[in-house]
Amino acid sequence: METRVGSRACACVALLLFALHASLGHEHIKLQEDEETAEELKLRAPEGDVRVQVSGRALVPGVRTQDWVAHARVLLDGDTHVGFIREDGGFSVSDVPSGSYVLEISSPTYRFQPVRVDITATGKMRARVVDYIRTSEVIRLPYPLQMRCLGLHSYFIQRETWIWSDFLMNPMVLMMVLPLLIIVLLPKVMNSSDPEMKREMEQSMNMLNSNQDLPDVSEIVTRFFSPPKSHGRAGGGARASVGVAQGVRGGASSVRGGAPRRRSKINTAVTSSE
Amino acid sequence: MAWLVVRLAISLSLLYTASAVFEDQVGKFDWREQFIGKVRFALFDTHSQASKKLLVATDKNVFASLNSRTGDLFWRHVDKTGPEGHIDALLMYGQDAVVVVGNGRLLRSWETTVGGLKWEAVLDTGSFQAAALIGVQDFVKYVAVLKKSAISLHDLSSGSQIWVENLPDSDTVQYQTIYSGGNGLVFVLGFVPSSHIVIVEYKIEDGEIMKKKSVEAAWMSSLENSCAVISSGNLLCVDQITQSLYTLPLQSAEHTEMRQIHLQTLDLEVASGFQPVLTSTQPNPAQPPLAEFFLQLSPDHHILLQLKDDLIAPLRDFNPSYLAAFATSGEKTVAAVMTPKNDTACSINLFSADTGRRHLDTTIIYHMDPNGGKPNRLYVHAFLKKDDSVGYRVMVQTEDLTLTFLQQPGRVVWMREEALADVVTMEMVDLPLTGTQAELEGEFGKKADGLLPMVLKRLSSQFILLQAWMAHLWKLFYDARKPRSSVKNEVTIDTLSRDEFNLQKMMVMVTASGKLFGIDSKSGTVLWKQYLEDIQPNSIFKLIVQRTTAHFPHPPQCTLLIKDKDTGLGSLYVFNPIFGKKSHISVPALPRPVLQTLLLPVIDQDYAKVLLLIDDQYKVTAFPSTKNVLQQLQDTASSVFFYLVDSSQGKLSGFRLRMDLSTELIWEVVIPTEVQKIVAVKGKRANEHVHSQGRVMGDRSVLYKYLNPNLLAVITESTDMHQERSFVGIFLIDGVTGRIVHEAVQRKARGPVHFVHSENWLVYVYWNSKFRRNEFSVLELFEGAELYNSTVFSSLDRPHPPQVLQQSYIFPAPISTLEATLTEKGITSRHLLVGMPSGNILSLPKMFLDPRRPELISEQSREENLIPYAPEMPIRTEWFINYNQTVSRVRGIYTAPSGLESTCLVVVYGLDIYQTRVFPSKQFDVLKDDYDYILISSVLFGLFFATMISKRLAEVKLLNRAWR
Repeated sequence: METRVGSRACACVALLLFALHASLGHEHIKLQEDEETAEELKLRAPEGDVRVQVSGRALVPGVRTQDWVAHARVLLDGDTHVGFIREDGGFSVSDVPSGSYVLEISSPTYRFQPVRVDITATGKMRARVVDYIRTSEVIRLPYPLQMRCLGLHSYFIQRETWIWSDFLMNPMVLMMVLPLLIIVLLPKVMNSSDPEMKREMEQSMNMLNSNQDLPDVSEIVTRFFSPPKSHGRAGGGARASVGVAQGVRGGASSVRGGAPRRRSKINTAVTSSE
Repeated sequence: MAWLVVRLAISLSLLYTASAVFEDQVGKFDWREQFIGKVRFALFDTHSQASKKLLVATDKNVFASLNSRTGDLFWRHVDKTGPEGHIDALLMYGQDAVVVVGNGRLLRSWETTVGGLKWEAVLDTGSFQAAALIGVQDFVKYVAVLKKSAISLHDLSSGSQIWVENLPDSDTVQYQTIYSGGNGLVFVLGFVPSSHIVIVEYKIEDGEIMKKKSVEAAWMSSLENSCAVISSGNLLCVDQITQSLYTLPLQSAEHTEMRQIHLQTLDLEVASGFQPVLTSTQPNPAQPPLAEFFLQLSPDHHILLQLKDDLIAPLRDFNPSYLAAFATSGEKTVAAVMTPKNDTACSINLFSADTGRRHLDTTIIYHMDPNGGKPNRLYVHAFLKKDDSVGYRVMVQTEDLTLTFLQQPGRVVWMREEALADVVTMEMVDLPLTGTQAELEGEFGKKADGLLPMVLKRLSSQFILLQAWMAHLWKLFYDARKPRSSVKNEVTIDTLSRDEFNLQKMMVMVTASGKLFGIDSKSGTVLWKQYLEDIQPNSIFKLIVQRTTAHFPHPPQCTLLIKDKDTGLGSLYVFNPIFGKKSHISVPALPRPVLQTLLLPVIDQDYAKVLLLIDDQYKVTAFPSTKNVLQQLQDTASSVFFYLVDSSQGKLSGFRLRMDLSTELIWEVVIPTEVQKIVAVKGKRANEHVHSQGRVMGDRSVLYKYLNPNLLAVITESTDMHQERSFVGIFLIDGVTGRIVHEAVQRKARGPVHFVHSENWLVYVYWNSKFRRNEFSVLELFEGAELYNSTVFSSLDRPHPPQVLQQSYIFPAPISTLEATLTEKGITSRHLLVGMPSGNILSLPKMFLDPRRPELISEQSREENLIPYAPEMPIRTEWFINYNQTVSRVRGIYTAPSGLESTCLVVVYGLDIYQTRVFPSKQFDVLKDDYDYILISSVLFGLFFATMISKRLAEVKLLNRAWR
C-alpha cells in the first residue's frame, strides 16, 4: 500500500511538471501523447468482473429535495451508467466496472461540479477533482461523494435595456450638453453685468460673420446628387463576411454617434468664435 | 501571467461571438415534444377517484407518469439504454410504484406524485422471471421477485430484503410464475417441458418451503400465457394440441393430476396454429383472484368464462373481438371488449365481470386511422360514478405506436404519437406559395405582352395584395375582441403557406416503426402521418427530396428508400411531402440489393432530380427513367462518378458511369481490416454554399481554401482496442480520382468518432484513452496564397497537394452527436452544434476550432481576430440553445437554411424532438425583436415638435425685432 502511494506521488510530481510546462504554452498545438504514468496502468488493469456501486449524496441548499430530484439524473461518462437520486438526496449507481469515470449530476435547473471517480481492479474507490488538463493530478474528495449545488444554470443573457442615465452619461451627450449650457448661460451672465462688453462682442461677431464664407446652395445640391465615390462593392468576398461576423453593433453605434458628432463640431466652431 | 492574458483574450472574444437566447424569446420560435416510446406496461392510479395519473413503462427504458386528462407528462425518468436499463415489470400499490430493472438486477420504488425515488435495492444476478406484490391479511406488504434459480422477498416500504431462497432443482425446472392469495403463502410455479408441473409453497415470514409437489402435465410447453391462477388458488391451463383446459387446486394435497376439460364440451375450439391465451384478474394482491377469466381462442375471438364449483361455464362469447381487458374500481370488476363495427371503426363495450351482462350506455366508438395501424393493446380505467354505476375511459395502443385516450361516447381526449420517439432520418421541405404569392411570382416569369396589359396585371396583383392585407387586418380586429383563450392559430394542411422569410417549413420525419410524419416546424403540429405496413423492424431508411416546392404546378416529391438490413433488398416509396399522399408514379422494381444511391443535379422535364440506384452487380437504375432523362444521362455520363464502401473488407472503390448506364471501376483503396476498420464515410452536404474563397490574413494577403466538392472523409478505428495501441485514423480521399489527399492518425484514441465535414474543414471528436477525455481536432485545407484554377474545380487537374493545418482541443464534457449550422449563402459564420448526454445542445463557434489560433498573440493575429490557443474548450451555459428544454438521448441534429441569411433552422431528435432557430452571427438582416420602436418614434416626434416650437418661437422673435 505504501509503495503505491509513493509511486502515485511520483506520478503527481511528474505531471505537475508537465502541467507547468503546458501552461507556459509551448508545444500544445498537438496535445501531448508521451510520458507514461504508473497511475494509468493500475487503473486500466485488465478489467475483471469487479462491479461496484458508486454512491453519494447530492444537496441543493434551501430547496426541498422532492422539488428537484425528479428532473435530475446521475451520469457516469455520458450516459454509460445512469443513476437516480432518492428523495433524501442520496444516490447510487450500481454495476460500475473498474476504470475511471467522470460523475456528474445533470439537472436542467441546478449546477453541480463533476467529480472523477477511480475504481481499481480490486474494487477500491476514490474521488477526486476533475481536471482535464492535468489528468493525473490527485486532489482527493471525500467518498461517499458529496455533491453540492453551485447555483442555478444561467441560460439567458440580459437584454441591453435603454436607461436614461446611460444616455445622459454618454460622452457624446456630455460634449453636446455642456457647450449648450455655456452658450445659453454665459451671455445671460455677461449681459446683466456689462452692456459695453456686449456691444464689443456683437461687433466682433459681425466681423467674423462677414469674413466667414457661407456655403453656396448650388454647391450643396450638386454634392448631394453626384454619385458617391466607389467604396461600397469593391470589398466583396471575404471582407464582407468578416464585416458581418463582427455584427451590427459597430454599425449601429456609428450611426448613433454620427449625428451628435457633426453637431458638436458646429458647436465648437461657435464657441471658438466667441 | 500568460494564462491570464489568454483567458482575458478569450473572454473578450466571447463578447463578440456569444449567441445566446434571451429570456423573453422562450417558446417564441422553439418547441419541444417529449416522448416515451412503445408502452409495455400501463397502470392507472385507481387509488383515489380524482387521480389523473397514468404510469407507463416503455421499451425505451422510460418510466413516466402521464396526465390522463391531457396526455402531458407529469414526470419522466430515462434510464440507460440497452438491457441494463430494461424495465422488466411494473407494479403499483397505493402511492408507490415498484419497478424491476435490468433483468431483475434492480428493484426501485418510486413515489408517483412527484416522481421521487423512494428506495433502490440491488438484487443478485440471475435471469428475471416474474414479480408480484404479496399481501398479508388484506394488506400489501412485500414484493416477491422470481429469478431463474432463486426467489427473494422485499419489504415494500424500505426495500430491505426479507429473505432469499434458492429454488429446488432449478437446473431442470423452469420456474415462471408467482402467485399469492393473501393467505400467508407464496406459490412458485415451474415446469419441466413435456413432463410435469412443479409447485413450491413458501411461508412468507421466513421463506421456509412448506410443501413441494409435482403434477403430471405431459402437454405443457409454457406457463406464461397459457396458464393462470383463478378463484382462490386454482391453476388453470389451456393447451392447443389437446384442445383442453386443465385445472388443479394448488393447495390441496390429494390432487396429483390435473383435471382435463375438453373444450368441445363447452362448444369451443382453438384456431389452428394459434397459441391460446388466458387472462385472469387479481384486483387486490392480498385477496385471491376472481373466478372469471378471458380465453382467447383466435386473434379475434375472446370468451369470458367462469369457474364455479369446479365447473367451467361460459358467460359470454365475443366473436369477433379484437381486444379484451379487465378493470376494477372499488369492489366492482368490469371487462371491456373491443369489437369491430365496420371497416373504419370499432366499438368498445363494458360488461360486468361476474355475470357477463352488458352495461347500458357504455359504448365507446373508436375510429381507426386509415393511415395508421391496427389496435393491439387496450388499457381500461374504470371509475365509479356518483350514482354508483361504473364509468370508464380507455387507452388504445396501435401497431404504429399511437396512444389514443377515449371517453364516452367516443371522444378522443388526447393522442400521443410515440413512433416519434424513434426518428431515424428527416428532411425539411419548403412550404408551397399561396395563391397570391404564386400570382405575384408568375408575373415576373411570363413574357412581356405589351405595356398596358402588364400595367393592368401589376395593378390587379397589387389589388389582390391589398385585399389580402385588409382581410388580415379584419381578422386581427375580429380576434382581438374574442377572449384570448379561444383564439388559437390552428395550423391545418390547407392554410399552409410559406412565410416571408421561409422560416416555417415542413419537417418530414421517418421513424423506425415505419411511420412517416409531416410536422409543421413552427408549432410542432403533426399535419399528416402515414403508416407503412409490413416494414421489417430492422430496416434502413434513406429519405431523398427529388423535387422541391419551387416548381409549381408540379407537386413536391420525396422518395423513401427502404432497405432490409439482412437481405439488402430495397423498395421505393414516393410521396408528396406537404400532404403526405402517396404518388402514383411507377417505381422501378429493385430485384437486387441496393448498395448506393446518388441524387444527380440532372432534372427531367417535370423538374424532378434524377436518382441513381446502384445494385450489387454495379448496375445502375435511374429513377425517373424517362427518355429525356436517359438522354441527359448519356450526355453527362462522363462526369458522373460514385464510390462504394465495403467496410467488411475495408475497401473503398470508385466507379464511373458509362454512356450505356453500365459502370467501370476506376480506383480502389484498401484499408487492411486486420489493423483498422472503416466506421464512417462522409462527403460534404450538397446544399451547402461557401461564400468566400479564402481568408484574409493579417498582412492583407489571401489564403485560399481548398474547396474540393468531391472530398470524402473516411474515419477508421483500430481493431486492437487496448488503450495503448488503439488509434483513430482519418483519410481524406478524392471521390473522383481516389487520391488520398491527407491522412492523419490519432494515437491512443478510440471511438465513437463524431465528425462534421464541410467547406474546407473537418472537425472530429474522439476519446483520448490515455488522458480519458474527449478531444476535438480540426483539419483545415488550404491551397495557399494562389488559386490553381479560380473558375472551376476539377479533381482530375490538381497538381499541388493542399496545405493542411491541424489543431486539437480538450472538450470537457461527453458528446453524443455533432453537426454544423447551415445558412442560405454561407456568409454567416458557422457554429458547431454539440449534443450532449445531459440533453443540452451546445452552440460552439467554429472560431474556437481554427487551426490558425496562435500560441503567442501577434499584431497580425489580432488583426485577423484569432483567439489565442487554449487547450481546453470553453463551455458556457449561455451557449445552450435549448436552455432548460433538455433533449433526452440525442440521436441526430438536422440543420437547414432559412430564407434569412442570419438564421439557421435546427431540429434535434432523439427520444424528444426540439426545434429552434439559431443566429450564429446574431440577427444582422432583420430588426432584432428588442428593437426599440418607442424610443425611435418618440425621438422622431420629439424632434418634430421641437422644430415646430422653435420655428414658432423664431417667428415671434423676428416679429418682435421688426417692431423694435
